[in-house]
Amino acid sequence: MEYQHDVEINGEDKYQNICKHNGLCKKEKDSKDDTDSNKLSHIEKAYTTILSELGEDVDREGLRRTPLRAAKAMEFFTKGYKETIQDILNDAIFDEDHDEMVIVKDIDLFSLCEHHLVPFFGKAHIAYLPNKKVVGLSKLARIVEIYSRRLQVQERLTKQIASAISEALEPAGVAVVIEAAHMCMVMRGVQKINASTVTSVMLGTFQDNPITRKEFLDLTIRK
Amino acid sequence: MNGHCNVKVNDTVEEFHSNNSFSDLLIDSKKSVVHRKHETSRKKDEDQSRLPALEAAYTSILRELGEDTDRQGLLRTPQRAAKAMQFLTKGYHETIEDILNNAIFDEDHDEMVIVKNIDVFSLCEHHLVPFFGKVHIGYIPNKKVVGLSKLARIVEIFSRRLQVQERLTKQIAVGISEALQPKGVAVVIEASHMCMVMRGVQKMNSRTVTSTMLGIYLEDPKTREEFLTLSRSA
Repeated sequence: MEYQHDVEINGEDKYQNICKHNGLCKKEKDSKDDTDSNKLSHIEKAYTTILSELGEDVDREGLRRTPLRAAKAMEFFTKGYKETIQDILNDAIFDEDHDEMVIVKDIDLFSLCEHHLVPFFGKAHIAYLPNKKVVGLSKLARIVEIYSRRLQVQERLTKQIASAISEALEPAGVAVVIEAAHMCMVMRGVQKINASTVTSVMLGTFQDNPITRKEFLDLTIRK
Repeated sequence: MNGHCNVKVNDTVEEFHSNNSFSDLLIDSKKSVVHRKHETSRKKDEDQSRLPALEAAYTSILRELGEDTDRQGLLRTPQRAAKAMQFLTKGYHETIEDILNNAIFDEDHDEMVIVKNIDVFSLCEHHLVPFFGKVHIGYIPNKKVVGLSKLARIVEIFSRRLQVQERLTKQIAVGISEALQPKGVAVVIEASHMCMVMRGVQKMNSRTVTSTMLGIYLEDPKTREEFLTLSRSA
């Protein structure tokens, strides 16, 4: 299949291509005309429009520099688009004769819902079964950062993290669970304050072997 | 807004000379923070007509951030984000008179009334990022009690705006004070600011606490302490 062949050549995560442009739009990457500061000033103008359409007085003291601050904040919240796995892994993969479960849990996670542009946040729990290659532990958290600092859907975020680890380390199995609160449900809409959404992806041994999966879930989720 | 403030200042000066009462002066000088001119500038029936401009602004933001606005997940995002933003700032077209709905009752009660753990959600006016937490409100009625849910509704009016936590606290306190003329009002807000948690210094567990004490809560430390103790207990 030609599509899969392309994916393998580019080394891109195939789940990134389910929604084709969840990475940076290619034409944006190629364009040399729009510098970063140009983009920032366009976003600033958009925020100035938003503030005045919401009925606010854009000249009052508290709001004078808000368009700039909001634009910079938005750029920070979507900085994951510019980062790649290769950059952050930084060759921190080590040969280690270890094949027992490694879990990094309670990784704080902050992302933006792509439907309402409102934050969702929670915790990610990641486990993998090394196949003679272990990774620096903070790199698991950095992988979470790359994919969470984008406009996301929690299901896709979970899958992207799992498959990124899977491709980088080729372990015997990867498990990722994310539990998050969505402000689009809490602050507006149905307004359910205590609702939280849990998504999980199990690859390799975690998918095939229920006992391995249970061990992971017992060690992370069940208190 | 300058004209508006001048009127309030003149009223304040006159009140001071006639009453010569310190706590009255404090309440009057805080009144100007409740009724800021821009905050009732949006009419509810205008919302629909303002949506296209908001949608265009959000489409522009998405494109400048490098996203593909034609992909399935983002197709209707500008509309959703615009409506969400209007909802999160709906406090601009609400006033206390509307929501109080005459739910003020004559009751021979002059002991403290506390409504605590009111969930509050607002938007930081500096970064347009949410902050949220809990509000605890206490008041000592002066023969007039208010429907309890109205205290929560007053919180909603002022929190569904672009806010600064200090101002929000004061507006809630002064709003209640003007509506009920009680012997005292106390408002405490404890909130977590996403602008500090999700970006910037990135301190996950930080909380900001602000309080406004009016009337007898300001003058009498024992009353204040009783309120703080009762509102803090689990």
